[in-house]
Amino acid sequence: MKKLRASILKEVLLVLHDKVGLLLMYLMPLLLVFIITIVQNSAFQIVNENKLTVLISNHDKGSLGDSLIKALTNSGSFEIKKKDHLTEPSVKRTTIDEDAMLGIYIPRDFSEKLSSNADNISKLMLEQMGVIEKAPKIKPRKQEISIYFDPVVQESFRISVINGIQSITNGIENEEMVSKLFLEMGYDSIPKKIRQAITNRQTKLKIANASLNEEAEMIPNSSQHNVPAWSIFAMFFMVISLGGNIVKERLSGSFLRLQTIPRGFALTLISKFLVYLFVALSQLLLLFLMGIYIFPHIGLPQLAMPNAFLPFLVVTLLSAISAISYAVLVGTYAKTQEQANGFGAISIIIFAAIGGIWVPNFVMPDYMQAIGNISPLKWCLEGYYTLFLKNGAWSELIGTITFLFLFTGFCQLLIFIKLRIQNYI
Amino acid sequence: MQETLLHVSKVYKSYGKSAVPSLDGIDFTVAKGEIVGVFGPNGAGKTTLISILCSILDPTLGSVIYYADGEKSPKEIRSKLGFVPQDFSFFPELTAKQNLSYFGNLYNLKKEELAQKTDELLQKVGLFHVKNQKVSTFSGGMKRRLNLIISLLHSPSILFLDEPTVGVDVQSKIAIMTLLQELNQQGTTIIYTSHHLKEAEEFCNQIILIDHGKIIANDTLTNLLNRHLVGNLEDLILKMTGTLLRD
Repeated sequence: MKKLRASILKEVLLVLHDKVGLLLMYLMPLLLVFIITIVQNSAFQIVNENKLTVLISNHDKGSLGDSLIKALTNSGSFEIKKKDHLTEPSVKRTTIDEDAMLGIYIPRDFSEKLSSNADNISKLMLEQMGVIEKAPKIKPRKQEISIYFDPVVQESFRISVINGIQSITNGIENEEMVSKLFLEMGYDSIPKKIRQAITNRQTKLKIANASLNEEAEMIPNSSQHNVPAWSIFAMFFMVISLGGNIVKERLSGSFLRLQTIPRGFALTLISKFLVYLFVALSQLLLLFLMGIYIFPHIGLPQLAMPNAFLPFLVVTLLSAISAISYAVLVGTYAKTQEQANGFGAISIIIFAAIGGIWVPNFVMPDYMQAIGNISPLKWCLEGYYTLFLKNGAWSELIGTITFLFLFTGFCQLLIFIKLRIQNYI
Repeated sequence: MQETLLHVSKVYKSYGKSAVPSLDGIDFTVAKGEIVGVFGPNGAGKTTLISILCSILDPTLGSVIYYADGEKSPKEIRSKLGFVPQDFSFFPELTAKQNLSYFGNLYNLKKEELAQKTDELLQKVGLFHVKNQKVSTFSGGMKRRLNLIISLLHSPSILFLDEPTVGVDVQSKIAIMTLLQELNQQGTTIIYTSHHLKEAEEFCNQIILIDHGKIIANDTLTNLLNRHLVGNLEDLILKMTGTLLRD
């Protein structure tokens, strides 16, 4: 016990002397979680809370262009900037000049074409129902509007905006079609009751979050996503400090001396493991405390801790042990400190990328999702998402626990083989 | 007749698939209380031999037996071995005292014994006044002296030294050699390698000369000089190993 205490004290002193390592292990994750949560929270707010600025140049001779603008305004998602004097090519440029997220150009014949199409369809329907004998043959004329996106707008964001606009234009088209139908049947306009019924026809979407626990639900937000994800990344980034530390001691000759001391080497490895386990757990504690106590004061959502505490503790411990095992593995096999730092950092970045730390795993192509399964960060993240977002417990964590056990065992086996070959153990 | 401490028999060591062995049938005996100098050109196999003797490496073939309370392998006698590597094998970020305390605890010394031994050794090599300074601030000579005393904390009965005086000033060299002589007088057996041949001539009772992994001479200095008709150790090594540069 005395030997272990001395080894632990030595490791603690070395960690405390490694100022760069300390910054990398504690300050960097805090900044990382802090910055990325703020950035993602802003993006979340842009989509969900803020209005998107839309530049519109309406050249439509009829009234449907105005109906479209009214519907866009009423949707509450857009702030409309009307610039009817702009030609189509100048909308393309002015969208950027005016800092609009998108520009819409409505051509002169928008109403005419839409109305003509609606008229055509309504006559075909009446013919089908036997109300009129034969509908005149009219060649369909597709109405169109042009949308110009600011090039910085991401693809996923464009798709959701396009879907929103498409839904509004569909509504206008349907209403116009019904209106034509009634006109053909001799009405001046759509009866008030029917118009009201059309307006209210839309399916009500009751939106809630899926949860593995029927009694409690976690609210997904930027904190619930980012704090666990980047905490895992930070924990694995200890490869720089621990991996480098192992190579340095091996190259300096102190490992040689330890080989001549009974149980000296094994004690050193155990003490490194224990000290860095403390480092990893304290990193997580700091980050979670920041999410719980500091985030609400700076306008970010408060981090809600999972209800299943014991599974959370097990996933945390296994994640930390996996991170330490990987760092020791890199330190054992690297020939120089530069090699350990370079390979260690790049491998963690790759593991993070394929493991879904930056971009969710499910949006990746199938083969990338399959490759992602080798990343320990993917499994740690899956474990944390099960706990922090889905409110899951033991039964949903079997995959995570099994993989992390296997990964740790694999690393330890490779470490043992290398150290045995080098006669350290 | 002196009591045998160490018997090395037909030791052979090769690394990986290398066709040329680093050690090729090494045989020798060391008596208790001897100072044995192992010499030879670079790459001759000196460090490999010392590493096998102090349990860092296992021989591919052959045996190393220590006679201390029965026959013991190098691994079984580790607590009685002291090893001073050529590289500085301590932690420069820590103070001299912290380094000594760490290694002393690994050697399982009692608290009082460790404190007493630490102060005594620091005094002997003139590092007592800087015991609380970080080792990274030490000069080369100070580091070399610290490297030595770390291996003496547990009072080893056999001490292995790989180039203990390389790169130090004359004052540090004298301090180191004086301490080693003192230890030998107290009964410690010393096996060491050095390229300071003048120092070795005065220090060693037994000379082992190795080249290409084989022992080419093993006797007292006087016997070897008389047998090969040369005046000093340097001439003896040159006569037996040639002047061709070694890598």
